[in-house]
Amino acid sequence: MPRLTLFVRSERHVIDYEPGQSLRDLLDATDFRVRSACHGLGACGLCRVRLLDGTVGAPTAAELLQIEATDRAAGVRLACQIHPTGDIAVALLDPAPPSEWRTPPPGLVAATLPVTNCDRSRPPGIVNPLGLAVDLGTSHLTLAFHELASGRRLGLRFGRNPQGHHGADVVTRLVAAGEPATARQLAGEVRMAIGTAIADAAQREGFDASRIGRVVIVGNTAMLALLANRNHQRLLQPSMWSAPLDCAPTDTAEWTSDWSIAPVAEVEVIPPLSGFVGSDLLAGLVASDLLAGPAPALFIDFGTNSEIALWTGTALWVTAAAGGPAFETGPGRCGMPAETGAVYRVVFDAAEQPIARILGNDEARGLCGSGLVDLVAGLRRQGVLTPVGRFADGRSAYEFVVGKHTLALDWRDVDALQRAKGAIGAGISVLCTQAGLALRTLRRVVAAGLFGRYLDVENARQIGLLPDVPAEHIELAGNSALTGAVALLLSESARAMLARARATASCVNLAKMANFDTAFLEHLYLRPMSSS
Amino acid sequence: MSNVGHALPDSPAIDFAPLIAALLAGDHAAALKETHRLRALGVSPEAIVTEGLEVAMDRLDEKCTIEQFNLLEIMLVGRAVAVVVHELFPEGLQPEKGRATFVIATLEGDVHDLGKNIVRTVLLGKGFRVVDLGRDCPVETLAEAAGREQARAVLVSGLISTVVPQVRRVRPALRRRGLDRVTVVAGGAALKQLSPADLDVDYVAETAFDGARYLENLVTTEGTVR
Repeated sequence: MPRLTLFVRSERHVIDYEPGQSLRDLLDATDFRVRSACHGLGACGLCRVRLLDGTVGAPTAAELLQIEATDRAAGVRLACQIHPTGDIAVALLDPAPPSEWRTPPPGLVAATLPVTNCDRSRPPGIVNPLGLAVDLGTSHLTLAFHELASGRRLGLRFGRNPQGHHGADVVTRLVAAGEPATARQLAGEVRMAIGTAIADAAQREGFDASRIGRVVIVGNTAMLALLANRNHQRLLQPSMWSAPLDCAPTDTAEWTSDWSIAPVAEVEVIPPLSGFVGSDLLAGLVASDLLAGPAPALFIDFGTNSEIALWTGTALWVTAAAGGPAFETGPGRCGMPAETGAVYRVVFDAAEQPIARILGNDEARGLCGSGLVDLVAGLRRQGVLTPVGRFADGRSAYEFVVGKHTLALDWRDVDALQRAKGAIGAGISVLCTQAGLALRTLRRVVAAGLFGRYLDVENARQIGLLPDVPAEHIELAGNSALTGAVALLLSESARAMLARARATASCVNLAKMANFDTAFLEHLYLRPMSSS
Repeated sequence: MSNVGHALPDSPAIDFAPLIAALLAGDHAAALKETHRLRALGVSPEAIVTEGLEVAMDRLDEKCTIEQFNLLEIMLVGRAVAVVVHELFPEGLQPEKGRATFVIATLEGDVHDLGKNIVRTVLLGKGFRVVDLGRDCPVETLAEAAGREQARAVLVSGLISTVVPQVRRVRPALRRRGLDRVTVVAGGAALKQLSPADLDVDYVAETAFDGARYLENLVTTEGTVR
């Protein structure tokens, strides 16, 4: 990958990047953003940088208009107008203050629209109305802003769920919400987060938030119930898990006012399927067109609570496996979310030394899920880790150097990965048994979720995180829940697909399945699924 | 090798170390093979429990304090112990034959039963009769089983704090059945923060081994027969 060398105030940073985007968009996913207020049209002239090294093509008409000749001679350019392809060095002349909201890591959200026909009727009384799709996740929120008539994307925002400080996992937050004041606080925090993301996007991409006439929200059941502050305590009773749960907001006038969007805006919270299968899974099925593609097909949305669907061609089985936070926040010494500073890819050189790639920064702060999978698979191949998940030589951690930092992979990090993949593997195995299918007959496997985009398929198969079916049958879908929510925002056919998935799905409660415990133990091993 | 008692032939082949090693390695096939070998040499099932399983459980206790096991290792030890106990007592221990009977469950409202399974392993390994009611178990089912199985104690686990009210209902449910003598022990992440008085139980176990030690002291001081 080409390298971007940045000089920000007095610091120098080096970031690897994938060509294809403007420098402004590349930087938006990092800790080093430029100022911007025009959706990258070149109209605001705020995103000035000085090119110090490398070539990026001649100044555009917008740059000729915005930048004085003397400045242009000194290498001043607009970050939104240049599309680097090789190694370049730039100084950020007026860096933006750090924002909690960023563009999602590249590729996390599908660049192309899932639908071609934007045929949903549009809210009346708004000229060129906009729509907002929200994926409300346990650890992160992802938002997409679109024109409802054309489907054109105006921006994406990605940030942490502020409820995280009440606990990384769903149950801790639900228990905290048993206190009515805390429940109100939790609901308010996430609503406020959506509001600040809207404000950030509107300012940065240069649109008027009051044109937003429709909001579609998908998420796991607990997050939706906490947002609406309705029925969340029922989720603490396992007898309620298989039943539908009403988490529709009772009054959205307050929400639209808090968010400064059109007062008449429709706010649609897509209902979850049951207590343990949220509408994020349903949206993912819509985005991947699971019920219309090759069958049998398996869909896995990796997360703190991983949701799994198996489409046989006639029947749709769905379940959720509580795998713990290994893929999103990391419980050990070196785990972290897939945010800037996370090692997302590890390859080993000829001397078996790990080489790390870092998201949006050159200083590694920890390993996110995909980096953890790479490292553990590599250490398994070298025999440093046993299939049981222990260090063969009896040490308790594996230390490795990334730039200026030393990261330590602790046995707890490995244990957390094993628990997560054990729960998912057991879930897949139980669904296959339920449907009377053998794993090897799968013709399609869709891996979705925050780290899906970066997952190394071969490494994931070797440690048994993905079924060992031919690589061409495996798709990495990224955040399919958001893609599905966008489709639901724009298109009637997507809504019809959602209705079909909802009507066809049968929920399987893993806690009630007799063969779950045995399957869980077998899938704790770090080995291909076919060995389990 | 420790004293194996008068009932055993004095043979150098009777070595419990390979069984203990197989149990601790979580190798259930090897543990089963060693059990067959010892049985063929005339070692009684009871001696295999006291000299093999119990010693392995004590070692596990020591090892757990110096180094942590990952979940798979603990589950493998659990499976090896269960396989050996099933081999020795294929019909299950009868109430009058076992060391003492304990009924164990994860209560209604909680489906996290890994901790409970570890406690079951340790107690089985110590030769107790353990009736496991699984997870998401109603309090009434637990109390009923305590009477039917002539349990000396009931053990309840809870990982999440919503299970606390259920724990408080255990003793009243036992009393309603005239089972006042049954000891109630609680354990698990959500419960060990609380005192026995808070939960209306006799003991709150810090770890699986701590709970097993408490129960072992309880039955030993009462002189329960093997």
